[in-house]
Amino acid sequence: MRKTLGLSTALVLCVALLASTAQAGKAKQNVTNLNFATYVWQPTTVKAMNAIVSSWNKSHPAIQVHIVPVDVNSVHDKLLTSFVGGSASDIVHDEAADIAGFTQQGYLANLTPLIPKKLKSEIPKSIWNVTNFGHKITGVPIMIQTYNVFANMSLLKANGIKAPTVTKPWTWAQFRAAAKKLTKNGNYGVCWGLRSPTATIQTISLNWGGQWNYLQNGKWVLKIGQGERTTLTTMHDMIYSDKSVDPAGVGLSGSAVLPAFFAGKCAMTIQGNYQSQGMIEQAPKGFNWAMFPPLKGQTQDQAANPQTLSISAQSQHKAEAMQFIAYALNAQNMAKLSAGDWLIPASPTAAKIVVKSTKHYGSWKNAVSAVPFFKKANWVTLGPYARWKAEVATPAFRQYLSNQIDLNKLTSQLVDGWNSIRG
Amino acid sequence: MIVSPRQKRTRGLQYGGLLLYMLFLAFPLLWLLSVSLKGPRELVELHPHLIPQDWTFSNYREALHGDIGIGDVTLLHAAWNSTKVSLLTALLTTVIGLPAAYVLARQQGLISRVGLGWILLSQMFPLILIIIPLFLLLRDLHLTDSHTGLVFVYVVWTLPFILWMLQSYVRGIPRDLEEAAMVDGASRLTVLRTVIVPLLAPGVAVTTLFAFITAWNEFFLALVLLQTPGLTTLPLLLARFVGVEGVVRLGPLAASALLATLPSLLLFTVIQRWLTRGLMSGAVKG
Amino acid sequence: MLSVAPLVRGIYLGFTNSRAGFGLKTSFIGIDNFTRLIHDDLFINSFKIGLIWAGSVTFIQFCLALGLALLLSQPLHGRWLARSLALVPWAMPPVVVGIMWKLVFQPQAGVLNELLYRGHLPGSNIDWLSDFTWALPAVIVVGVWAGMPQTTVALLAGVQSISDDLHEAAAVDGATAWQRFRTITLPQLRPVIVAITTLDLIWNFNSFGLVYVLTLGGPGHSTELPMLFAYNEAFKYGEFGYAAALGDAMVVVIACILVFNLWGRLKETTA
Repeated sequence: MRKTLGLSTALVLCVALLASTAQAGKAKQNVTNLNFATYVWQPTTVKAMNAIVSSWNKSHPAIQVHIVPVDVNSVHDKLLTSFVGGSASDIVHDEAADIAGFTQQGYLANLTPLIPKKLKSEIPKSIWNVTNFGHKITGVPIMIQTYNVFANMSLLKANGIKAPTVTKPWTWAQFRAAAKKLTKNGNYGVCWGLRSPTATIQTISLNWGGQWNYLQNGKWVLKIGQGERTTLTTMHDMIYSDKSVDPAGVGLSGSAVLPAFFAGKCAMTIQGNYQSQGMIEQAPKGFNWAMFPPLKGQTQDQAANPQTLSISAQSQHKAEAMQFIAYALNAQNMAKLSAGDWLIPASPTAAKIVVKSTKHYGSWKNAVSAVPFFKKANWVTLGPYARWKAEVATPAFRQYLSNQIDLNKLTSQLVDGWNSIRG
Repeated sequence: MIVSPRQKRTRGLQYGGLLLYMLFLAFPLLWLLSVSLKGPRELVELHPHLIPQDWTFSNYREALHGDIGIGDVTLLHAAWNSTKVSLLTALLTTVIGLPAAYVLARQQGLISRVGLGWILLSQMFPLILIIIPLFLLLRDLHLTDSHTGLVFVYVVWTLPFILWMLQSYVRGIPRDLEEAAMVDGASRLTVLRTVIVPLLAPGVAVTTLFAFITAWNEFFLALVLLQTPGLTTLPLLLARFVGVEGVVRLGPLAASALLATLPSLLLFTVIQRWLTRGLMSGAVKG
Repeated sequence: MLSVAPLVRGIYLGFTNSRAGFGLKTSFIGIDNFTRLIHDDLFINSFKIGLIWAGSVTFIQFCLALGLALLLSQPLHGRWLARSLALVPWAMPPVVVGIMWKLVFQPQAGVLNELLYRGHLPGSNIDWLSDFTWALPAVIVVGVWAGMPQTTVALLAGVQSISDDLHEAAAVDGATAWQRFRTITLPQLRPVIVAITTLDLIWNFNSFGLVYVLTLGGPGHSTELPMLFAYNEAFKYGEFGYAAALGDAMVVVIACILVFNLWGRLKETTA
């Protein structure tokens, strides 16, 4: 008797628990429910995103949007598993370089016929190009990051160095000279966290026209030409010849060098422009910092790799999903999002609103000044890029920057790696 | 007994050795405990102390009151998910495993020998060979991103080992006992109920708890199967928290890690005596 | 039976081109995946790392655990404490073990570097887990720590099952402790040693969670164990068939380890 009793209790418990796990997915009828997978993570942006979604839900009772948060560190893995598993959200938040692969695999809907005219006209064509994969746009650009110099203004002033302006930006040569001048008494001119260096290197190499990938006889090849080489040697020389970059910081992540910057151990640091948010939150009181306009090589061009919103090919409600995207990315809302992340909005109208909304050291003016220089980099739209970046480029660049391999070895590793991955 | 100086020296060396082992085993744990009791200011000190200068339980408070999770998933929420999944796994494996183990232990035929061989062998296969087909199978059943699917995978995964342990317990019960009862005229079912089950109860308890701990600690399968943060289990939550570059708050992380270990540690101390005995009788004989 | 079906399907998957893609059909492609594996430098690299990792973790673990088991079988005070401590890693989730050691290895506020600094020893500014040379050794230390319980328990049971008479007889004959260890303990322990080291080798070769939390296989690919490689192939790039083929290859390796050990045992019994 005891056994049957125990068994049946166990079974009842199991059934009850199973029922409770199964219930969660059921939805109300007559309402279109859209899942929206987003990896926004800065608290300010999370707040803005939540506000946008709840105001949409209030004004559109027939189309309800539900946020599915994605962990910012594993966006790609999680999206892939959800696509393969058939549990993908209707709307997914990713970045241009990453959706190239998903587009190739057929997991993203072609948005070209769905994008409303107004949205289309608000974002410049040069930026739309980035998410256009052979006459097929699969992502709507939201916001873009640049790499900028952040400076400790007190140290610069003490050394008689004048800050650049939007009209008179620093060239790399000027930056190097300043870094050298600021390297003294055991302190360094620059702290540069290059733990994941690939995006940084490839973005700034457009300064010298370095595209990395070139179309040759119908095939995408990887070439380390003059532009690419200048980028690499400039960085390497600053660390090992000028010795103006703190070598201990090179292996760290971008935000991990901030404490040294705040402590005055280095006068400048190169960071994604979104670090403005980190500076505001973490800088000690009275710390006088500024973000400079993008550095100039031959040009101030930087590669645009915007965050994107896409629609899953598996979604049953593509038109409704696009309606929401258009709403979430209207100029007002886009401005709110980019104000939270300190990223540059893809729409110039939104950029104007952001600039008005803040007055911190003119940083936003400097950030937005980069908009005309955004160019499409070929690597952003290539399917094999994600694997090449993870498997070949990042380890090779790290070894080069930690002086374990030379430029020739690096070049052959990068090119061979590309050829074998492209197949 | 007279102890020679030589023996004394050996004893001394032995105590020294034991002490070194204890240091190696306990030190990381002590450090984790120490970090979890430090305030935020002490944690960024360039030269940390082992004993916190400023005791504080604020990390534990913070760990329990949320604020540590991804999205709106708190530690308690993840703990509830883990409890649900582990409990179900433990109950289901026992319910399925018990009858199967009985048959395996009592039948002498080829099937049971092949079955036992298979169980041993299946412990050797890399997880990736099981998870990919299971993932594709669950996809067809639309169960990938759900606790039901996770429990299913856990049951499949823990069952062989549970079967192995259970059947070794059944073997430990002498056949004569059963036969004696049968001679007395009791039906097979009555025998099962009155003789086998009471004798087996401690063994079953141990295996059930072991299945619970295994599911509680499991990471890889959950990592692959779960996407929705609301479903996150404890190990997954902790692993994600580690990943966030630069913004990791070590104090609450250490506190959460300790809290997450507590249940399995407690259960483990309860069962370890039986567990090692059961394992040994299996391993040494096999 | 429940575990047979997925396994068989998993083994078969290695011979197909199964991969991520919307509406893609899977077909049988023979041994293509395996030729690709052999030519994949990253796989060869991860295989080597797997061998180094499994070999050194198993070996160090065995030496340490044998010492601990011998000590624990002595009538020492406080051995219950050491005994319980030795079991703790077993009950801890691998993720927590990873977090804990990450805190130990931290470059700036970590306790290891602080100890090195106070002891005026070299290496106090190494970022252990993201250094190309040191990451693998560091990860191995954690592997040894985490796997101590199983090995110790097995060896302890073996040591205790050796009859005291043998030792006493030898002691009467004037054998030193070392001689007794070599002529009695080791030969008597042999079956247990073979069993536990074989199991350890296989477990370690297949391990995943610990290193995933500690380094994600980095820096570069310097700690990328075969399972991490397979995980990336399957769940980062969606190459399910290829990842399964790697699993198949691992099964062959494991079969080799088993056969090798059984063969050793057979020779033992016939000799």
